Amino acid sequence: MTALYKTIMAERIKLRRSPVWLAFFCLPLISAFFGTNNYRMNQEILQSEWLSLWTQHSLFLCFLFMPALIGTYCSYLWRLEHLRNNWNSFLTAPVSHFALYFGKLFQGVLMTILGNVWVFFLYFICGKLCGLNTPVPKAALSWFLFGTLGGIVVCCIQLTLSLWIRSFAIPIGIALAGGIGGMLITNKGLGCFYPYSLYAIGMRANNPNMELPAGQFLSGCVVFILSCCAISVWKLKRGES
Amino acid sequence: MRTLQLEFYKIRRRKVWLSMFAMLGVQLLWGLWAMRNPKDWELASGWMSLLYSLSVLDGVMMPTIMSLLASRLADIEHKGNTYKQLRTLRPAASLYQAKALCGLIILVVLLAFQAAVFILYGYCLGYEGNPDPRYYLLSYGLKFASCLSLFLLQLLLSMLFANQMIPLVVGLGGSMVALLIMFVSHYSFLPWGGNLSASVVGMDWDENSRIITYFYREYSPAEIAAVVCIFVWVAVFYLAGRILFTRREV
Repeated sequence: MTALYKTIMAERIKLRRSPVWLAFFCLPLISAFFGTNNYRMNQEILQSEWLSLWTQHSLFLCFLFMPALIGTYCSYLWRLEHLRNNWNSFLTAPVSHFALYFGKLFQGVLMTILGNVWVFFLYFICGKLCGLNTPVPKAALSWFLFGTLGGIVVCCIQLTLSLWIRSFAIPIGIALAGGIGGMLITNKGLGCFYPYSLYAIGMRANNPNMELPAGQFLSGCVVFILSCCAISVWKLKRGES
Repeated sequence: MRTLQLEFYKIRRRKVWLSMFAMLGVQLLWGLWAMRNPKDWELASGWMSLLYSLSVLDGVMMPTIMSLLASRLADIEHKGNTYKQLRTLRPAASLYQAKALCGLIILVVLLAFQAAVFILYGYCLGYEGNPDPRYYLLSYGLKFASCLSLFLLQLLLSMLFANQMIPLVVGLGGSMVALLIMFVSHYSFLPWGGNLSASVVGMDWDENSRIITYFYREYSPAEIAAVVCIFVWVAVFYLAGRILFTRREV
């Protein structure tokens, strides 16, 4: 337990004063601004109030930008080790490989959660600014929880890719491509079997009925998270990346 | 010329071409999926709809693709910490020019390949008639200028910041801005809206019949200004990048 705590603190020190969190602040802000604007311009067609506003906020953010944004953050986490001879000091730290990986995973998951909290905060604020007086639907809590879980899956996949691929940009390209692929695969009804779709499915983006196949979704998340963790730890154990 | 050759030598095993063609492949898949099973009225105006769809796809994806390309070209120097050494061997401006030219050549090939594949797909779908070479060449030229402006912006950022997260987030933000501009306008003076301004085809959607009518755009003075703005951005980003990079402490 102490080892896990130490690796988390070490990662925090590495990220201190780094402006990477700004990306999670700015991109959802742009999306919320334009999504709200679009909602206001089409308010006569979009009559479901909070639900309609959510469709405008979530569609492109969930499929296109959030996977790439999480991918950018994960790339940054591993870039610190890929640069110069940092792998030597990283892998010789007196903690287990799982603890080393967990430090990175914790930071990635934390930022995914905070990013999602910010998305929902903006949704609430924008709804109020649009003059929606009815309360926010209770289901929004479920969108948040399942969406965050889907985001964690993307985070795990991207951490594994960024560990494997030394380039900073390539895993981000894969995340963008994955998100676009997610749109097509979700459209075919196979989203729960594809990691980049899970975030959008959990958030109920582009889902007029707001339904979720909970069993399939949760099993998909568990399988992807555990597989990625196992692959990453195995890769670390194999030695220098 | 030698510096340019060296740029291609540096990226020889970095799979830059592969990564760019992979991104283009994703774009093609998206496009092919969106344009599958055309109806009769879609076949009649197929070549025009193809140009329109391409401008939309490029508008959304090119800011990010260009940020990936620029980052791949500039990051070699950051990782190897080679700027100091290179500056003692060549003038800083020539290094910047070589990187810009390298990206430009990749871009020319990439866009030509994209156009060729989509035209081939148009014939496979059975679009009526042939593509109008005048509009297709104009579209290619304008799109190239627009993508070049984005690439030069990203190259500037990627070479100035060692932390590649900054340029890549700008690229992602650019894609988002472009996507959202599409909802409100069909031209923009922002660099990320260049692909929309550069579109030579417009469309009109009839809500009742749910039929889209495509037409070759007749540019209003504001739209012409937006197209001119693309070239202004190319010049501004090139000069800004060159000046900032030359004066930068390495």
